[in-house]
This record gives sequence, structure tokens and C-alpha cells, in this order.
Amino acid sequence: MTPAQTTRLDRPAPAPGLPLWRRLLLSEYLVLFLTVVYVAGMALIVPEILTADTWRDILAAMIPLLIVAIGQMFVLVVAGIDLSATSVLAFSSVLGAAVITMDGGPLVGLPAFLVVAIGILAFMAVGGAVGAFNGACTTRFNMPPFIVTLTTMMFFSGAAIWVTTLLTDDGSSIGSLPREFVFIGQGRVFELPFSLLIALAVGLLAHVALSHSLFGRWLFAIGINPNAAAVSGVPVRRTMFWAYVISGACAGLAAVIYTARLETGTPVLGQRILLDVVGAAVIGGVSLFGGKAKVLWVVFGALFLTVVDKGLQLLGLSLAGVFAIKGGVILLAAIVDAQRQRLKGRG
Amino acid sequence: MSLADSRKIRLLFLQNAPLILFLVLVLVFGSLSERFLSPTNFMNIVTQAAHIAIIAIGMTFVLLVAGIDLSVGANMYASCIVVALYMKGWNPVFGFAVAGFLGLLFGAVNAFVITRLRVPAFIATLATLFVGRAIALYLSGVKMIPFGKEILLLGRTTWLGLPVPIWIFLLVFVIAWVTLRLTTYGRQVYAVGADPEAAAKAGIDVRRILFSVYCIAGVCAAIGGLVSASQVAAASSTFGFQKEFPVIAAAVLGGTSLFGGRGGVVGTVFGAILIQTVENGLVMINADPYVYPLVVSAIIFIAVLVDSLRTGMLERLERRKIRVETA
Amino acid sequence: MFQKQVQAPVQAPLLAVRGLCKSFFGVQVLHDVGFELAPGRVLGLIGENGSGKSTTMNILGGIHQPDRGEMVLDGQPYRPKGPKDAEATGIAFIHQELNLFKNLSIEENLFIGGFPKLVRGLPFIDRRKVRARAKELLAAIDLDLDPATLVSRLSQGERQLVEIAKALGADARIVIFDEPTTSLTARETERLFGQIQRLKGRGIAIVYISHILSDVMRLTDDIVVLRDGHVVASAPTRQMTVDKLITSMVGRTIDQIYPPRASRPREGQPVLEVEKLTQPGMIKDVSFQVRQGEVVGISGLMGSGRSEMARILFGLDPYASGRILVDGQPLERPTPEAAMARGIAFLTEDRRAEGLMMDGPIADNLALPSLPNFAGGFGRLIERTRLGDAVERTGRDVQVNARDFVQTLVKNLSGGNQQKVVIGKWLLRSPRLFILDEPTRGIDVGAKYEVYKIINELAGQGTGVLVISSEIEELIGICDRILVMSHGEIRAGFDRAKFDRERIMRSAMWDSVTKGGR
Repeated sequence: MTPAQTTRLDRPAPAPGLPLWRRLLLSEYLVLFLTVVYVAGMALIVPEILTADTWRDILAAMIPLLIVAIGQMFVLVVAGIDLSATSVLAFSSVLGAAVITMDGGPLVGLPAFLVVAIGILAFMAVGGAVGAFNGACTTRFNMPPFIVTLTTMMFFSGAAIWVTTLLTDDGSSIGSLPREFVFIGQGRVFELPFSLLIALAVGLLAHVALSHSLFGRWLFAIGINPNAAAVSGVPVRRTMFWAYVISGACAGLAAVIYTARLETGTPVLGQRILLDVVGAAVIGGVSLFGGKAKVLWVVFGALFLTVVDKGLQLLGLSLAGVFAIKGGVILLAAIVDAQRQRLKGRG
Repeated sequence: MSLADSRKIRLLFLQNAPLILFLVLVLVFGSLSERFLSPTNFMNIVTQAAHIAIIAIGMTFVLLVAGIDLSVGANMYASCIVVALYMKGWNPVFGFAVAGFLGLLFGAVNAFVITRLRVPAFIATLATLFVGRAIALYLSGVKMIPFGKEILLLGRTTWLGLPVPIWIFLLVFVIAWVTLRLTTYGRQVYAVGADPEAAAKAGIDVRRILFSVYCIAGVCAAIGGLVSASQVAAASSTFGFQKEFPVIAAAVLGGTSLFGGRGGVVGTVFGAILIQTVENGLVMINADPYVYPLVVSAIIFIAVLVDSLRTGMLERLERRKIRVETA
Repeated sequence: MFQKQVQAPVQAPLLAVRGLCKSFFGVQVLHDVGFELAPGRVLGLIGENGSGKSTTMNILGGIHQPDRGEMVLDGQPYRPKGPKDAEATGIAFIHQELNLFKNLSIEENLFIGGFPKLVRGLPFIDRRKVRARAKELLAAIDLDLDPATLVSRLSQGERQLVEIAKALGADARIVIFDEPTTSLTARETERLFGQIQRLKGRGIAIVYISHILSDVMRLTDDIVVLRDGHVVASAPTRQMTVDKLITSMVGRTIDQIYPPRASRPREGQPVLEVEKLTQPGMIKDVSFQVRQGEVVGISGLMGSGRSEMARILFGLDPYASGRILVDGQPLERPTPEAAMARGIAFLTEDRRAEGLMMDGPIADNLALPSLPNFAGGFGRLIERTRLGDAVERTGRDVQVNARDFVQTLVKNLSGGNQQKVVIGKWLLRSPRLFILDEPTRGIDVGAKYEVYKIINELAGQGTGVLVISSEIEELIGICDRILVMSHGEIRAGFDRAKFDRERIMRSAMWDSVTKGGR
């Protein structure tokens, strides 16, 4: 019997009288706060971190990462994981670019914007298909998501490179994408990067889906207790399946932005950001054990990681230095989160 | 044939699926390439699989307690770069001692963060992966560092007809097997993996067990790294990069559960050899090298799929068995 | 009856507990609790959930330390710092959730805390010695199993016995049983009781904690009743009756444990018609009806197919042949969604694993099955205010005792309140047919009464109710009709006027009766 049971009433929410540091530690804005502290600290050494150019770079780097991480969040809510997200970036980049630049295919003669639209759909369809495969394996055959997505990650990373060797002479990338497509990655609307508008739309949609829709409620229920959800009439398998599809499709969409920015479809896209994707979600406070997530948290997590990266770049740190500090920062965030859980547990 | 019989046969098939898969692969590659079935080639396969097997043995301990160590590749790089940089000309035994000790330290850091600071293993080892690679890159100056001659010689020396890497692998395997099967510690590892709370109530020092498995994984990563070093001659900046994937795959392929408490090192070794067999076979039949990862991952996938089908089937069988009660 | 076979001689107490006080976060949960344990005697410890039983036992087991008070073991002060101290002094704790490792063998489980070594100072296990000792221990409890058998292959009752063997192996002088029979079949329970008698015979002192008062009356020599952290009654069992126990447990007389059935079943179209429902290995040719406003009980031993039938009706498990009709219309697709769409609700027997999101707040749990009813329009967005109101109303209706449904996590509620949340979440859907599988398992007398009242009200409103229970008294107390299952078939049916405990019991054990008993 726990003490709480003896009183049979829940303890009240944290009192406003708590010391500031504890309130901060328990706040969902903690990561944002840490970002601000980091920027402030950095500004003393490299004042460039406060310039508009720097923040434009940060934004540019953050947007696609954020989109992938938001997709990842949907899978994490149901206590799954999608390691294949980065291979989807590469694979859909190659296939999508191939669809757009196809010689003599059915797309020839169509207006450019239509070709681009079909291209984007192709990117997302490739991602969604990989996600559907992951989802089918985990829900139909009860395969552990970690392993399923690990193998699909290996498979599609390999496939991306292999397909590129088949499609091109030098086997490196698929270039000469149309101007209209490149606009998605580089263009601006009302002074704002076009990709930012995409990210905002994705974020908003994701927020509504997660926090205000039936689907979202079902995701949380499954994340907390899949058996209880099933007995309460939640279509557990179908819901989980769509979580994986969303993760794949989001990665496909992010691939559109990356590819448009590079102006080529490349099979090594995103190879290094796998850990950033999961990291952004988890640092923001999304639980790896399911049932805890919020879009805003992921935004903070992605922002934090990108800002840290940029700061280190500005410092002129070597690759080794960037690795070390990034690792340290992930570790620190995880430790803070762990301590936070412990504090919460004590009430 | 009755329903029950056909189900039994299906189960028998599923239970031995990795073995069947292995035999099928051997047959296929054997029929496509004459060289594949030679004893020399089999020896090659085992030699090439040795370092993965060693690291995967360490990983098995971690998986048995439902943990995970993503940092083995980084650990392997960091520990071996020290040997490559500072221990040229030393007796390789010292090399292994130093690498093993560094690996242990690395593992102990993981263990500390996971058991004391209570960070989920996945995140903790993800972070140390970065830090470990960073340290190694810093030490090496992001340059290719050749290993000393004595390490390379090790890879080519044979003893009693077997290459030294195989001997090292066998030694690690036997120690691990005995530890898991025949010691109190080993049995407690399984207990902790099945139910840490019950283990604590049974008087097992759960934290000590959790701490130790990451240390073991660390040592194995370093030793496996040096065995690999004896075959590749130099540590480039991608030495050990993403090694965690084939390592985890080998363990899972061998039947070790990611949820703890189930599996063992025999299966892990089998898994490592199976993966290497595929790669070797593909080389033998002159397949397009870009296809390798596709085939390897597809085979791992099939093995895991079969394992899941089997588990599901066993569960259904259990559930059907209503206990008939007579008072 | 074996209950007083072993005459316990009155001896000096083995363990004397005096004046235990304990507070958590400023709330005092134990007030001067005291009792004595004597070798070879069984002490029954009873009380409602939250009365302080577990805290007391946790202090005995070294998990908590008392604020005040003393424990004297064999004339020596006993102050355990942790579970290990308790174990070392010979106190064994057999928890409700067994602490066995299913992936290990019986013998490994017996010695997991410390194996005999091959050579002193080296870590190698002496397998032969382990095997020999394990055989001895299993023989001591009449468990005829190979010690190398994996625990995952044992039945619940066999696992319970392995726990006892473990206690024997640790040379326990005091064995504490915490609700040991909840998941045992009747036969396994008998076997367990037989072993407890043998433990008595060995001069071991036993603490037996249970909600099943008839068992406590049968098995124990002394009884201590706790209420709100106070000892409210303490006497030899023979001076007690079940009625007295209940009175002291709840602190007021419950004139009737069961509220009177006010309404009668309605005539006309039955809510549920089951025709020759069959699933090989589970149930066979099950046919019955439930009318509107009728409370039908399903009695049967564990493994009789009663829970399996409920799960099939709710679409959780498939069926091979037969028909299920709801309101005269066949239920085609066997899925929970389809069953729910036709107005079926289902309270599972396993509250923790399947009934609730323990880590979720009360409100989310109440809302879960009804969410689609509150999600409309494009994107199926949740209508929060309407949902919030409905949840609040239902929660109050079933009297969930919590201030704030949105903040309070279900895991912080007592068992009875948790069960009310499960009931409430189904009531929110206004079911046509409510299937309740063991609705009062593991909840205290007061909460049981409230659950019965809710069932009565439901029936009064015309809902068909199907109650599955292993307690025959309970079914007799609340049902209009009782069906008895055995070996996956319905063996007998009794109308309210003809309720007879003996005959129901006999039908449930149909097998042993027709085969001339065993």
C-alpha cells in the first residue's frame, strides 16, 4: 500500500510556493530555458550567435529536423520507435528526385507545378510506404519496433545507394531538379522561408491530431496501456499502424525540403541525423516508454539541438569537438529529465 | 494428420528457423560458388565473424537485463585508437590488456549514467556514442592511424591450425558461457532481466548486476575492436562506425530477446556467423557490393519475423490450454 | 475438515509487535498496532484496503521502518533495515504477485538469492547439490515435479507452492501470505491450505492476509482486524464469526451485505441471446439468454470457461460456431468495437492489466471507451467541454472518491475506487448489456456494497447484466438467475427462488460428481 492510497486522494498539483529552481526543473519550458542560457553563454564568446544570419541558418537547419522529429513523436507516443526515418530521407530523396526528373515518362509535358506536386506526393508516398511496412510488421506480427525499423533502416539506406547506382552513371546523386521544386527549399514567401510555412503547417496539424483528435487520444491510451485500450474498444493495431505511416510520410516531406535545398536527390541524405531525430523528441520530454508527448516539446528539443550545433560551429570546433559536446548535451538533458522524473515521483 | 500435429510441425519448423535459414543459405551459395563450401572459406567466415561475435557476446549480457548499448562501436574505436597511437611495438597482450581496461572504463561510465543517474540506457549510450567517437577523433586528429605490426601479425598467425582471432573469440565465448550458465552471477543476470523488482525482493543486488553488464559489454567491445584491428590494419575515422547494428542483430538473430531474460551466447555466436556467412557468400558469388546491406538486412528481418511468429504461436497454444479442474 | 488437526500448543510468542506507529507525508497510517505470533499458529490479518495491513507487513518485512513501537523476536529486539535483514532472521514473505522468475527453472528459483558453491570462494554453482536440495524441498511440499522444469510451465497454484518451498529452503520461522488464493483454482487453494497446515506442524508461525473471510475463518487460529490503522479486534478465531468480522472491518453493521433487488426482469425481447456458441478448447454449445433488467450470474470454477465465454461475447477472442444475438440482431464481426457498437460493455477480471490505464488520470480512463461518441466532424476532433461534463457526471454517479478527476492518477486510488472507475467508464456508454467478470475481486466490503448497488440500479433501468464470479454467495445475493459452467459447458441453471449453495457447488464440480468423485 502506498501512502497515497491510504489517503485515497491525490496529492495536489505542485504548489506555487516551490523554490524557483524546482518549478523550473518541473516546467515544460525547461529546454527552452536551457536554450536561452546556452545562447546567452555563447554570446559572451561568439557574439555572432545573436545575428540574424545565424538565426536564419538555425531555422533552416531546424525545419526539416523538426518535421522528422514530429513524425517520430507519433511513434514514440505508442511506445514504439522508428529508426528507419533517416533511411526514408535518403530513399525518398532518390526515388522522388528520379520521379521528377524522369526522361520521357508520363510526366513529360505536364505543367511544372503539377510535376512538382506529383513529385512531393512521390516523396511522401515512399516514406508512407516504408512506414506502412514498419507498421504492418509491428502490429500484425508483433515484431519489436526497434528491430523492425533497424532492419528497414539498413535495408533502405542500402537500397537508396543501390538504386542511385542503377539510375545514374557516377552513382552519386540525381541532379537538375526544376526551379519550381528548388523553391520549396530555398524560396521565400513574405520574407519567410517557404519551408518554414510547411513546418508550421505540419506542426499545427500534428498538434491538433495529437492533442485534440480521437486519433491522438487513442495514441496516448495505447502508449499507457495497450491491453486496456484494446478492451476499451480502441482499434489498437490500426491506430499504431497509422503512427508509423505518419512517421514515414513526415520523413518523406522532410526529404523534399532537404532535396530541394541541395537541388539534387542524394542517397546519403540524413545519414547523420538519426540520433538528432530521436534526441530532439526525447530531449523535449517525449517519453521513450510511451504515453507522453507534445508537439511544442519537440519544437523545443529540435531548437535546442540545432542551436547547440550552430553554437559549436561558430566556435570553430572540430568535428571531434562537435561530437563530444553534442553527446554531452544529450546526456545532460537526459540526466536532467531523469532527475525531474524522480522529483515528480516524490511529489 | 490432425490439427494438433500440423501445428506441432509448424512450430518445430519455426523453432529451428534460423538453423534452417542457415542451411538454405549454405546450399544456395554452395551451388552458386564452388569456393564457398571449402573448409578454408568456412574458416574465413568464422575469422571474419570473430570480432562481431565477441562484441555481440558482451551485448548479450546487456540485452539479457533488458538494456541496450549503442556505444559499442564508439567504445571499440576509442579503445583501439589508444593502442594504435601509443602502443606500437608492445607485446599484443599488453595491447589487449590496455584496450580491455579502457573498454571497461567506457562501460563503467555507461553503467554509472544508467544505474546511478537513471538515464534510460538507449539515451545514455547514444550520448556516450558521440562522446566516445569524439575522444577517438580528437586523439587521432581525424587521421587514418595504422596499427602496429604486432597486431597485424596476430591476425595472420595460426595456433594449432586455427587463426589467433578464432582462439580469442573461443576464449571469450567459453568464459561468457560458463559465467551465464554455471555461476550465481549468470543466473542472477537472467533473473534481473525477467523481473528486476522480484530480483530485488529475492535479495539480488540489482544495481550491481546492471552495472556489471555494461562493463562486460565495454570490455568485449574493446577486445572485439582489437581483433577487428588485426584484420583491417588501420583505424580510419569510420572504425567501428555503426558497429552496434550488426552486433545487436547478431544477438537478436541468435534468439536473445530485447525485453530481457531470454537468450544466450550460443545463439549470439550463431547469429554472428550467420550474418558473416551471408556477406561472405555474396562476395563468393560476385554479387553487386551495393546489394550486400539489402540482403543482410532482409535475412535479419526474416529471422526476427520467424521469431515473432513462433512467440505468437506459443502464446496462442498456451491460452488454448484450459486447465481442467477437478475438485 | 482438517482445520484443527494440528493442535497448536500455547507457547511463548515468537514475535511480539507492540505499539507500531507509522506516518507517510504527515498522514499517520498506523496507530499503536500490536499483536503476537506464536510458533505453529496461524494469525489472520484482515481489514479493508487502506486499513494498514500492508504497511504493517512491510514493516515486518523490513521494507519500511516504524516511527515508533517495537518488535521482539525470540526475546531479542528486531529492527530490520531492509528485506535482507528480514530474510536473514527467518521471515519469508509470499506476495500476491509471486516473485518467481518464469525464465528460470524451479531449482534456480529456489536458490537464486544464493546458490551452493562448488568450491568456496569461487562463483561456480554446485549443480548436483542444488538438484538434491531442490528435490528435498519439493518433496516436503508434495510437489511432484522435476526441479529443472521452467517456472513458466507451472500453474499458478504450483508456483505458489514453489514459493513455499523457497521459504522452507530459507529456514523461515515466520511465513507471511498476502492474498495467496486470488488467482488459484478451488483445488489449488485446498492444496495450499494443506501445505499451510503442514507448515504449522513444523512450528512455523504464519500470517495470513485475505479478503476471503470464509477462508480466514477456516484456516486461522487467531484473527486481528485493522481499521484505519488501528487494531479494532483481536481474538482467537473460534470466538469470531464472519458477521462480526465484517462489522469490525467496516466499523458499522452492514445489515445486508447485498442491497435488495428492487426491480424485476422485463418481459419481451431478450437483450442477449447466445446459441450453441463453441470455440474448441474453450467453450462448447453454450446457449442462454439475458433479458432486459435481468441480472444473470455465471458460476463456475476457474478454468470452467466462464471468463473465456465473456471474452468471446465481447469480441476479444474468436469463436468457431454458434450465434450471438443482441436485441434480436446477430452480432457478426467478433471485435470489441462491434460488440460495443451494439451496446455491450465488459468489465475485465484483470483490472490492472486490462481495465485501466494506471498511469493515466481518472478522467481519461472514464472517457476512453466513449471517445468516438464525443469526436465529430472533420478530423474527428474531441468535443472537450461536452466530454468533460459527461465524465464528471459519471464519476460522481459511481462515487469515485477523488477531488479532481483530471489531476488524480488512477494508480493512486484504492482498489475499490479503481473498480468504480472501470464501471463508470462503461456506464458512460449507457450499455444495453453489461458483462462483469469478477467485479468485486480484491476490493473491500464497503466498496463491494457500492458495486452491487450500481448493478441493481442498472438492472432497474433495463440494462441486462451478466455477472461472473467465483463467490457463490455473491451471485446468490445479487442475481435473478444463476447459470453454472463446468468444462466449457453450461451444466445447470437456477432461478432466484431455487438458489441453493450446495447444488450450485455440486453442478460446478459436475465432473467429480458424475464420475463418482475422486
